Amino acid sequence: MENKHITIFHGPQHPGITGNMSIELDLIGETIQKATTHVGYLHRGFEKLIERRTVIQAFTIVCRICVPEPDPNEANFAMAVEELAGLEVTPRAQYIRVMVLELSRLAAQFLWMAGQSGSIGLYAVGQWAIADRDLILDLFEELTGARVYHMYIYPGGVRRDLPEGFLERVTTLLIYMKKRLKDYDDIFINNASFKNRAVGVGIISKEEAVANGYVGQVLRGCGIKADVRKDAPYLVYNELEFEVPTQTTGDVYARALVRRAEMDQSLHILDQVVRKMPEGKVMIKIPTHRKFKLPKDDTWVKVESARGEFAYYMAGDGSEKIRRMQVRGPSLVHAYTLLEDLLIGAELSDVALIMNSLGICPPEIER
Amino acid sequence: MFNEIKQRFATDDVEVKRNDLYKVRIKYSRLFELMHMLRDEYDYKTLNAITCTDWIEEGHFALTYMLTTEDRKYTFMIQTMINREDAQAKTLSHEYKQAQIMERDLHEMYGIDFPGNENLKELSLESWVHTPPLRREFDTLEFVTNHLIFREGREDNVDTKAETKRLRAEKKAQKSKDEEVKDGK
Amino acid sequence: MKWSVDLKGTLSPLSIITAFWLKPNTIAYPAVKKETAKGYRGFHTNFLADCIGCANCQDVCMNDAIDMIKTDKEYNSKNTSQCIPRIDYGRCCWCSLCTDVCPPNSLKLEDDYLNVTKHASDFLYMPKDKE
Repeated sequence: MENKHITIFHGPQHPGITGNMSIELDLIGETIQKATTHVGYLHRGFEKLIERRTVIQAFTIVCRICVPEPDPNEANFAMAVEELAGLEVTPRAQYIRVMVLELSRLAAQFLWMAGQSGSIGLYAVGQWAIADRDLILDLFEELTGARVYHMYIYPGGVRRDLPEGFLERVTTLLIYMKKRLKDYDDIFINNASFKNRAVGVGIISKEEAVANGYVGQVLRGCGIKADVRKDAPYLVYNELEFEVPTQTTGDVYARALVRRAEMDQSLHILDQVVRKMPEGKVMIKIPTHRKFKLPKDDTWVKVESARGEFAYYMAGDGSEKIRRMQVRGPSLVHAYTLLEDLLIGAELSDVALIMNSLGICPPEIER
Repeated sequence: MFNEIKQRFATDDVEVKRNDLYKVRIKYSRLFELMHMLRDEYDYKTLNAITCTDWIEEGHFALTYMLTTEDRKYTFMIQTMINREDAQAKTLSHEYKQAQIMERDLHEMYGIDFPGNENLKELSLESWVHTPPLRREFDTLEFVTNHLIFREGREDNVDTKAETKRLRAEKKAQKSKDEEVKDGK
Repeated sequence: MKWSVDLKGTLSPLSIITAFWLKPNTIAYPAVKKETAKGYRGFHTNFLADCIGCANCQDVCMNDAIDMIKTDKEYNSKNTSQCIPRIDYGRCCWCSLCTDVCPPNSLKLEDDYLNVTKHASDFLYMPKDKE
């Protein structure tokens, strides 16, 4: 029988898609001829809303730009504002920020693990990962008062000091996680069914990754040691000891291994942060929200999120409002330039697998 | 590097923002020449982002191109001004693949035209017919007021400043009245 | 696709069987309630004996969720405008900026976060009067 050319939509209502987006696939048989990404299901106009608000008011909205990991957004926003306004944050606040960022990276990696394993049908891993992520969210709840949208990292510091006994609870969690992650190795990372599906799928070449501005695990999976925490250290990352894991093959499995190794590094960083946590104030005095003015200047700040470099462009205009804040997350380029490219020639059943390994998050494409 | 830029492009507008972040402002006509120079001679190989800021008072858009080195350590911000009305900039999509989608994004949000870019279709705003939303003249509140319904039952909101004033005046009047009554007695 | 025997990769996932003897991570919800952490950002409370009706909360609220209204409740003598805040929970994002700017610290967030109602108009929430 002759193969017919058909077009199907993968998503937005599909368990194998990482959020509210869809991919239009042109198929011959099971092989993809052309892929087109479509977004537009949750545009909320954050960049416009921020232009209408004062600096302090805008702070509450940025965490909603990326749902799985809101904290890099808050850190970026706070760092950009501090750089424009010339504020210096206390060491304790910086350490707390690093702790929050690393916990959030860890939580996001668990969420990725749930998605990645779900994309090949290993649902037990997903259940476990979500349960373990919840333990981190419990800590966030205690520290910030909310589980997902923390609104904690504030221009000038962090909003609350650590609750009593918090560091001990973090240590307890770290000990548990170190033991627990080995179980994930057994049932997921080393699992033959995952290896057979993931090795050799979705290969990205090194040259392409550099030239096209890919970030995060995509870059590290093909052997480039790029990590904002090392390349342009922000907060106190230059005082902490950690490694940037890399792989050379550039396929889905390489990215999975990089992510898994990063979880170990996150635990290692958290361990040091808990031991080194200095005493002192967590917040410096900042003007009230009607008087907080940014000079006419612009800046570009970036942090390493769980999925790669996350950058903000911010321009002030001398008034109390931010003139322009543009988000440059990993997803825009990954979901269009990279995904549309990678899917050509892939099998239909690999779409979810490849997508999950890239860390695409539609809320951040549409802002 | 800075000296060469200053000499070759006759600009003094080179800033060191952080130890890993530089900024230069340049005329639009020399923009691509500078980008090519940075790419070929100084290893700024990756186009990381294109951002746009609307300076409506001055009548231009500020386009900022972020170039990063291959090892992602240094970032160069190259800023250029283009006219707000019939805004246009040459596309970079043939040199940098990722520029295609970034330009598509800017085209949708600001209405900037990028001749040479093959696909400038709408990205997330389906069937949008109004002003491109990130231009400053687009008023979100006005749009929302005209198109959406607000929750009922919130009309009893009181302007506290006016109310405080009114209450004070009332109190004062009452006081003087009381005194009058007292004096009358 | 080439198939090679991966003995470790085939056998190690079987360790998941040990999970049968683990305790569940979930709780039996209606019977056992999860304890919210101290300082959880739930519903608003407003201690009327302290509230001065300054409308700072209304001013800082970026969502326009707060109305200052007159009620028949007793207000304190320092309340110059004789108004107290009411919050539209259809708009509130629980950022707690309003509680940060409250000068007498009367507006707070409590750990209660459940509001089940049949009417959308019940989203207009009068903060409970407690310290």
